[in-house]
Amino acid sequence: MSNANTVDQIVSKPYKYGFTTDIETEKIDKGINEDIVRLISLKKKEPEFLLNFRLRAYSQWLKMKEPDWAELKYPKIDYQDIIYYAAPKQNQKKASLEEVDPKLLETFDKLGIPLSEQKRIANVAVDAVFDSVSIATTYKEKLAESGVIFCSISEAVSLYPELIKRYLGSVVPITDNFFAALNSAVFSDGSFVFIPKGVKCPMDLSSYFRINSGDTGQFERTLIIAEERASVSYLEGCTAPMFDTNTLHAAVVELIALDDATIKYSTVQNWYSGNEKGVGGIYNFVTKRGECRGKRSKISWSQVETGSAITWKYPSCILKGNGSVGEFYSIALTNNFQKADTGTKMIHVGSNSRSKIVSKGISAGNSNNSYRGLVQIGPQAENARNYSQCDSMLIGDKASANTYPYIKSNQPNSNIEHEASTCRISEDQLFYLQSRGIDFEEAVSMLVSGFCSDVFNELPLEFASEADKLLALKLEGSVG
Amino acid sequence: MTNDLIVQKWLNSIPEAKGILKNIQESGKQCVPKIGFPTHKEEDWKLTNLKRLSNILELNINTNKETNHQIDINNLPNPGKDYFRILLKDNGNPQDKIKFPKGIEPLTDSEIEKSIGQTLEECQCHKTWPIAINNSSINQILAFKVNENNLPGIEIIIPANSKDFNSKRILIHLEDNAELNLLEVILGSESSAQSHIIEIVMGKNSKLNHGLISLGGNKKSNLLSHIATQQKENSEYSFTFIQEGWNLSRLEPRVVQTSGNAKTNLKGLQICNNNDQIATHSFVKFNGPNGELDQLQKAIANDQSHSIFNGVIEVPQIAQQTKAAQLSRNLILSKRAQIDTKPQLEIIADDVRCSHGATISQLQEEEIFYLRSRGINNESANALLLKGFCQEILKNLPCNSTYWTANFNDLIKGSE
Repeated sequence: MSNANTVDQIVSKPYKYGFTTDIETEKIDKGINEDIVRLISLKKKEPEFLLNFRLRAYSQWLKMKEPDWAELKYPKIDYQDIIYYAAPKQNQKKASLEEVDPKLLETFDKLGIPLSEQKRIANVAVDAVFDSVSIATTYKEKLAESGVIFCSISEAVSLYPELIKRYLGSVVPITDNFFAALNSAVFSDGSFVFIPKGVKCPMDLSSYFRINSGDTGQFERTLIIAEERASVSYLEGCTAPMFDTNTLHAAVVELIALDDATIKYSTVQNWYSGNEKGVGGIYNFVTKRGECRGKRSKISWSQVETGSAITWKYPSCILKGNGSVGEFYSIALTNNFQKADTGTKMIHVGSNSRSKIVSKGISAGNSNNSYRGLVQIGPQAENARNYSQCDSMLIGDKASANTYPYIKSNQPNSNIEHEASTCRISEDQLFYLQSRGIDFEEAVSMLVSGFCSDVFNELPLEFASEADKLLALKLEGSVG
Repeated sequence: MTNDLIVQKWLNSIPEAKGILKNIQESGKQCVPKIGFPTHKEEDWKLTNLKRLSNILELNINTNKETNHQIDINNLPNPGKDYFRILLKDNGNPQDKIKFPKGIEPLTDSEIEKSIGQTLEECQCHKTWPIAINNSSINQILAFKVNENNLPGIEIIIPANSKDFNSKRILIHLEDNAELNLLEVILGSESSAQSHIIEIVMGKNSKLNHGLISLGGNKKSNLLSHIATQQKENSEYSFTFIQEGWNLSRLEPRVVQTSGNAKTNLKGLQICNNNDQIATHSFVKFNGPNGELDQLQKAIANDQSHSIFNGVIEVPQIAQQTKAAQLSRNLILSKRAQIDTKPQLEIIADDVRCSHGATISQLQEEEIFYLRSRGINNESANALLLKGFCQEILKNLPCNSTYWTANFNDLIKGSE
């Protein structure tokens, strides 16, 4: 194809969200030690049990070694060169949005986050996290009417310490892995959702994460609990400005579903991915795990991963309850020098548990896109079923696509099916579309979005169209 | 005793090799401690029963006392006129005693020295622990080249002595346009271990139909085996392998298409009973365009057995137009059995068609029901389905193999 020019043009399209907001922030000194952990806890006026939790995690972290099995080959992270806490300067959490620094609101406006009141029609409650601190949560009152708690995790610590004490770290223990331990020691903020018995959350909940300073790590923590027969759909979006240094993002997300509860967790991740030479970008090392504790509970992960220099995460489900269901729908797109090593773990413990995995990887440029997943059927998981499908699409001959599905079974009365394929956009398909008067770029984006349609169908409506556009934007012209 | 100590003791107890093997042994002995005993931290060894692996090193090495073979090796069935049999049982150089048929010549010492280890290096496994162990202990090497086609098949039988560590090496060079049928039979014996490595070089337009039947005999016998093959353009390699009855079996078929444009067929079957641990680690790499791979790996896991499959396929940038398909099908028949399967595709070339699939399940109830509704009892229905499951692999073996697989029906038990 003679579209080499278009490739260059489009690949060099600027990152739309790459601005920084000039706002006074309060940062603490670089580095990590016990005093820093204590300082973070003090700044957030935390109760003692949480300080102890952090200190235990910190001492655990010191004992752990940074994992290297994924062979992502990134330069060593200097953990003493990171600022672990940065907050926009404001004296108190504001009672209403009018009092929030207009510059901040402007930032979120630029990002298209429906924070301000007039956007209420969007019917999505938002919790926005700027660097380390939650800025504002909308719709609180309306949610409170039905008993739903949706607030920043710091707020939850002071208002509902019992819930935090009971559930924090119960799905991802502090000993789980290197980055989870680090997060547990220094986590700054995040969202907390609690849906009481029998309540169907009246609107979609959403949180928005933004890293603003170049030397700040973001360590947010999300905890979602759905009690018996409750259900909730939660959306998460992420962006960051452009810096030529790499920034670490090590979040932990814990989901807990009791009997007959349903949690749907969707992510559109568009952290800054570095420039076309692979300089800068976010290291997105995240631990996400859901536990289907109750009978017939269901946890569904869907993710669209387009940003970050390196994405390294495996949103997982532990299917403890009998008849519980885990789902994982993923689109991972990598371009230039991005690396993605993502997938899921489905651990079947309870009988009649079911899981489904649909993963679509698209790699372009010099990028490296891996699916790595585990399906494990334990000896008690009678009649467990799993179906996995992972497809890769390669664009250009310098990108690589790898699949590493680990499949483990201890149970004869179970069924596991796994299939995978690799393809590229064929010239025949492009020719066909072009002969129908569709221009080259549109044809490519149509084919890509067709390739991903299985996953788009699982995304909440407004996310699906956003994700589709995002893919088109990221990819246009990279076929040549 | 720590594993390092066991290894050191083992190295000291190796009887010294003679002739051309001396240098190989020396370099192997230096390599073993450098690589170190495998640990569960290494991805390749994560699932291996390392206790059983270290137990192998407690055995005597190549004592060659001819006792207690699993079968009466002096009374084997006649291979027929289409097959030429080689029995690898004695120490010393087997080539001196064998009168190869026309078209097959033994490799000379200098040819062996030049080519030994070369295919292993091509297949990226020359620095692994089982290779180093074999290098440091081999006392016998069978090496020949094939110049013609239309030759009698070669049957190589490798028995083990009981309580013995038996290590052998085979080198086969197929010249351009040569064709060969090859059947290897590896037998276990009471508390024995076999370290078996075969290196195959295939010239242009050559064709090899290779069968390997490894029968441990359920007597605490162990097998570590590498089958390394490099294929030139337009060659066709079909490799069918059976693993059955081993306490610990680790078979690693590794194929590299040195400039693509070749065909590879891999068909593997594991039958795991008792508390066997049977593993297959395959590796296929395309170093050129237009390569083809058809791989089917099957396993039946019964009792407390553990079946492991790890299948790597590498398609680098140069390997455009590669067609590779891999399928792993597993039957788990007991609640205490375990199956681990991991297909692994690494693809950089964009114009390729690669797929892989994996299934783990028990026998399908509808199929059993169908047979039972035709008046076949449950037990026979199970046995019939299992036989059919195996037959898909067994039918690819070279034709004189039926003697060895005849009793498979008894080995495959129905589900509990």
